[in-house]
Amino acid sequence: MTRLQAAFGRIYSFMMTLACIVLLVIVGSIAADVLLRNVAVPGLPRGLTAANDISEYGLYFCTLLAAPALLRAGQHIRVDILLRAVPRQVAWACEWVSDAAGLAACAVLAWMGWIMVGKSYAAGAMQTRSLVVPEWWLLLGMPIAFALLTIEFVFRMWRLAHGPVEPRSDAVSAA
Amino acid sequence: MSDWIFPALLLLGGSTLLLFVGIPVAFAFLVTNLVGAWLYLGNEAGLGQIVRNGFVAVSSFSLTPIPLFILMGEILFHTGLAVKVIEGVERLITRLPGRLAVVAVVAGTVFSAISGSTIATTAMLGSLMVPVMLARGYHPTMATGPIMAIGAVDMLIPPSALTVLLGSLANISISGLLIGGIGPGLLLSTGFVLWIVIRCTMNPSLAPPTDFESFHGWERFRPLFQYVLPLLSIFGVVVGAMVAGWSTPTESAALGVVATLAIAMAYRALSLRALMQSLRGTIAISGMILLIIMGATTFAQILSFSGASNGIVEVITGSGLGPMAIVAGMMLILIFLGIFVDQVSMMLITIPIFMPIVQRLGIDPIWFGIMFLICMQMGLLLPPHGLLLMTMKGVAPPTVTMAHIFRAVAPYVVMSFIVLVAVFFFPPLATWLPGTIK
Repeated sequence: MTRLQAAFGRIYSFMMTLACIVLLVIVGSIAADVLLRNVAVPGLPRGLTAANDISEYGLYFCTLLAAPALLRAGQHIRVDILLRAVPRQVAWACEWVSDAAGLAACAVLAWMGWIMVGKSYAAGAMQTRSLVVPEWWLLLGMPIAFALLTIEFVFRMWRLAHGPVEPRSDAVSAA
Repeated sequence: MSDWIFPALLLLGGSTLLLFVGIPVAFAFLVTNLVGAWLYLGNEAGLGQIVRNGFVAVSSFSLTPIPLFILMGEILFHTGLAVKVIEGVERLITRLPGRLAVVAVVAGTVFSAISGSTIATTAMLGSLMVPVMLARGYHPTMATGPIMAIGAVDMLIPPSALTVLLGSLANISISGLLIGGIGPGLLLSTGFVLWIVIRCTMNPSLAPPTDFESFHGWERFRPLFQYVLPLLSIFGVVVGAMVAGWSTPTESAALGVVATLAIAMAYRALSLRALMQSLRGTIAISGMILLIIMGATTFAQILSFSGASNGIVEVITGSGLGPMAIVAGMMLILIFLGIFVDQVSMMLITIPIFMPIVQRLGIDPIWFGIMFLICMQMGLLLPPHGLLLMTMKGVAPPTVTMAHIFRAVAPYVVMSFIVLVAVFFFPPLATWLPGTIK
């Protein structure tokens, strides 16, 4: 189990690196758009029409690429005021409830995601903005990310079972 | 029993219960959404709607400033440039009572204008300045209070990722909110400085005057021109471009990142390691926020479809209370929530109910949004769980106790409340500057 977790950890780390690259692409495309709109560069168009789409799709993929790694690192924020106030055993039991609910939600979303990808593929649905792409390309990120989140919730429960009987020290704020 | 009461209890009560059980915020809303979508959006079709909403919710141009504003701050902190601001400010402020506390507030205000993280500002100023102040005989309350207070103000002064999130979730003009936060933010900073000077004049033992290395002529102003003003030019790029109407908040944020990268490169401070640390730090914070938005958008939709939003709005607007009383009640709820839950959860729990009321009553959304932000920044300071209190405890020397920290923050919470009341009774404090946007 430990080796399996480490293997998934490497996948998550690779996905984080991809998200970083996507973020740089977002910055570059918007800056290029503003520059080209305001400064006439010979041989280049006035503005980068795809900049909006690149940033919108990029934001979506950044979110999905980062989600499993953040769950592994305990960086999805939560409210822990009650967990700190109740006895450790009760808090530990709450962690089980929390993980079970998260596991169930992610499994359902992964499953529904696959169904939606299949429907979109069958219907030949297209996203028609500046960039025209098949919709299922975009939807495919959901089932993959939520399947990985489902697996990570299993790992979380395994770590909880083999760790101390106390609440975790996950992040509590985005501020 | 009215039709809307059960869905309201199920959705609002259920999500709140899940939050307090300790489920990460994003997953608490996803769980609630699955139940709500099954019941109120047509069973399996409703679940499919959640998947589609997930894509639509975060693939939004208006949300792009969130990672970009965070990235600006991360670059400045990981390259070490932010620390240079303290030196620049310290050389300028010389003969004031409580000098180092004033330096902390002024440097914190400058940080606020170039970064968007309250924790980073508090942690950096706290770890660098509190030990120095304590060594020079400052009382722990005078060493820690100003830093926590100015850390919270970071949320009001642009760039601020949480302001973008509020604007996006509440459908309020993001540029308006960003610009509108400047006035109350500067008002609070000025109030903090005045308070420090008055307190230290009345009771010099709080901050004994000590010797310090004084610089004359150009040497006194060199760090100002070398670091502080060039770094503040980033604020000029971001806010100036928005105010002049040259760019949207997203475009201003992207230009801000480019300016930050250019300045870091000009100082030869940008290594590949620092860049990767900054990008990973940015993805960690913004990825977490954006996953929450995925859940929050559908949550608001289900609340509306089930009739719960409308039912609650009808009850409140039909209660006979005037608009001002209702707004005051909403602010009190936010302050109360701030004692228990984080800022993102505060928004998710309240916005689906508060914003329809704001629209129904014809209240200026910018004015309301700025007061919302002031309440959220107060939440960072409210004992016993205010996040910046914990941050300060984490970075301050062990001689600083939690009791010191609670006492230290009290006057600044009162000042924040006074500014909230001032904005409540005198809306132009929040709305005048946004009104100047072209």
